[in-house]
Amino acid sequence: MIDIDAMFFVVVSQGKANDVLRKAKDCGAKSGTIFLGEGTIQNKLLEILGLTEVRKEILMISSSNEICDKLHETLSEEFMFYKKNKGIAFTIPFKRWQLQDTLEEQKSSPENIAATHFCILTIVDKGRGKACINAARAAGARGGTLIHARGAGIPAEFYFPLVIEPQKEIVMVITTKEKAAPIRNRIFSELELGKVGNGIIFTLPVNRVSGIFEGVTP
Amino acid sequence: MSMLVDKTKEVIRTLLPVVILVLLLCYTIVDVETDIIIRFIVGSVMLLIGLSVFLWGIDLSMNPIGEHMSMEIATSRSLLKIAILSFFLGFLVTVAEPDLLILGSQVEAASGGTMNATFIVYMVSIGVGVMISLGVFRLLRDKPLNIFMTITYGIILVLAILVSEEFLAISFDASGATTGALTTPFVLALSLGLSKVKGGSSSEENSFGLVGIMSAGPILAVMLISIISGQKNIQGDAGEYIVAEGVLRPIINAFPGIFAESLLALLPISILFFGYNFIKFKLTKEELFRIIKGLVFTLLGLAIFLTAVNSGFMDMGRIIGMELGKMSHWILIGIGFLLGLIVVLVEPAVHILGEQIEEVTSGHIPLSLIRMTLSIGVGAAIALSMVRIVVPEVKLWYFLLPGFAFAILLSFKSDPVFVGIAYDAGGVASGPMTATFVLAFAQGAATVIETANVLVDGFGVIAMVAMAPVFSIMVLGTAFKHKKVTYPVIEKKSVMTSHLIEEGNIQHDCILVVANRGFAERVIEVARQSGATGATIIRGRGTDEDQKVMLPVINIELQPEKEIVLLITGTHVSESVADSVLRDTQLEQDGEVSVFISPAEAMVETLA
Repeated sequence: MIDIDAMFFVVVSQGKANDVLRKAKDCGAKSGTIFLGEGTIQNKLLEILGLTEVRKEILMISSSNEICDKLHETLSEEFMFYKKNKGIAFTIPFKRWQLQDTLEEQKSSPENIAATHFCILTIVDKGRGKACINAARAAGARGGTLIHARGAGIPAEFYFPLVIEPQKEIVMVITTKEKAAPIRNRIFSELELGKVGNGIIFTLPVNRVSGIFEGVTP
Repeated sequence: MSMLVDKTKEVIRTLLPVVILVLLLCYTIVDVETDIIIRFIVGSVMLLIGLSVFLWGIDLSMNPIGEHMSMEIATSRSLLKIAILSFFLGFLVTVAEPDLLILGSQVEAASGGTMNATFIVYMVSIGVGVMISLGVFRLLRDKPLNIFMTITYGIILVLAILVSEEFLAISFDASGATTGALTTPFVLALSLGLSKVKGGSSSEENSFGLVGIMSAGPILAVMLISIISGQKNIQGDAGEYIVAEGVLRPIINAFPGIFAESLLALLPISILFFGYNFIKFKLTKEELFRIIKGLVFTLLGLAIFLTAVNSGFMDMGRIIGMELGKMSHWILIGIGFLLGLIVVLVEPAVHILGEQIEEVTSGHIPLSLIRMTLSIGVGAAIALSMVRIVVPEVKLWYFLLPGFAFAILLSFKSDPVFVGIAYDAGGVASGPMTATFVLAFAQGAATVIETANVLVDGFGVIAMVAMAPVFSIMVLGTAFKHKKVTYPVIEKKSVMTSHLIEEGNIQHDCILVVANRGFAERVIEVARQSGATGATIIRGRGTDEDQKVMLPVINIELQPEKEIVLLITGTHVSESVADSVLRDTQLEQDGEVSVFISPAEAMVETLA
């Protein structure tokens, strides 16, 4: 089993994730998980018509750093991430956690996380994701991806005993190191995340991005 | 690219084969007037626009309405309120269905005026209301759908013995008429909403099946009317059919009436929703505005779509049917099969069901496979209907009875999600395209074939279209149940764990757990015991090199359904959380969990 120390994310239009995955497997990726999301486009006319949603698929591949780098190169080439609106890819240093069989001391890897970008994740109740994206945009983000999710079930006693599963939206915004703080603060204050139950926000370091048109040095 | 563009593309893909086949027929074996060909082409363009806009509108309006209404039903504390509210939803959405009134007047005419059209409409609507009500109870109480449907169809079978063949056909046709362009999306949204609120491990299966349950209502209602009133035979003829002349005139003439009908059909549900919103939901202006926009799109789209189908497609279907009826019977049966194969994919509700399947299973069930199965089912149904028209000895129940009997049998062997999808597919396939284009085709063929009875044979077509997909998808579901999963030999080696760097500002970790569908709750339970707090679940599908899931016979590789659990934990507990998730035997054996950790910078205040 190879060491897995990065998670490669790709956001593409619906239906393309399978093609990307197939290509990724050629590069040595072992497994992938796909989930559905919604992208947004900025266009005044379309906004009036209510046509701003774009269905996206998000593909998540866990792999080693080397393979991730290879994926970045091959996939950007193949699916033209360097063009606008073709898709984006980024790597988050997710380590695969494995059980300790021996009582061997856990070694901390000296590797530094050289984060050039940050992935800001906000989890809010369903329906507030749009407001979150708007707040992020106001603070300089280019856009965001909305993922439908649900919270852990809360048993509730109605006539029929139900397990209410609160519907949630996860908003994913990729941005540069400099912009991360203002965007985060803006979302935090605009969505009043300080109040209990309004949602949570956190950022993850991003190692490498493709297809994002801000702060990328060629 | 926006979703409207995607929808339009999808509609083009499904509509194009129909247009090509029809035009091909027109220029080869069938002699059709140029006017009608042009009208058909104009109709196709209108259908394309109408259907795309309609589907878009449904997305914006019906889905949220269904969600809010189902929330209201499910979180009710009184049994009576659940019963009454769901009954009214079913009743209101049906009573305004224009197709049903047409059917009512047909029956009124056929029975020589002994039965009143309005009476039939109300009875059928009550039937639907009762069935929706029962269906909601089934869903909330988590009773298995296959048993519920077995009982329902058992009752139908007993009643079927008591009614005449004419009424057998009419009752199934009533079911096809009620599952119209508007009712089906609404009921689909309702059942999706209910299953979301209900949650639990069976929420996926519960997302489907309500349309199937609903469509049993009209069958039961019409059969009961026939038995109670003692009406057995229907008289009369379908009347002289006049093909409209001109190109644009029929379209323009038809539009206002259809627009009014569509408005009428949309009104009861909208009024109920806005009434509820005023008293209870109190949605924000933005949300409300979105829904209103959606309703306007739905109305416009529906009116354009129905106009196109009624004036552009119906005459064409009729003429093709008549012309082919004069030719070799094999050609008629063959073309019937082809038409069924491709026409069903243009049905609006088929698109909506497909979208729902995709959303619920996040792409695990390949849509193309469902569509193919549906196509083959409906193609066979139309072909068999043609056989029935050609050979008078072959009766409707020769197919209906064994078809449903097998479907019911298979429902105990099939993958549970498919049971709901299959029963829904029956109602979904028998939509406006079948009720106009295909029915006109069958009736056209029946008029030229001496031995056929236009009324009886025509009515039976919809019954067949409603039965065949139930059967074919149930077969697919059985295949899914027996999908082969090949597991690799897992090599267990002592593993080294890399630790995370402790930076000053990192106080939290983001733990990502990928597990098989249905294990997210267990993951959260275990994680909570070792100190995690909140969790968010994402539905996804995944593939693993080492593990392949194959469908038998057709050998298609499937992507198994996964659940991704997102946990934010303090660095001090994240190790123990990750360890305990991996150590849990239940998760290890069946859940196939893998755990990933990344340092996260969280705003601590929000984690209270």
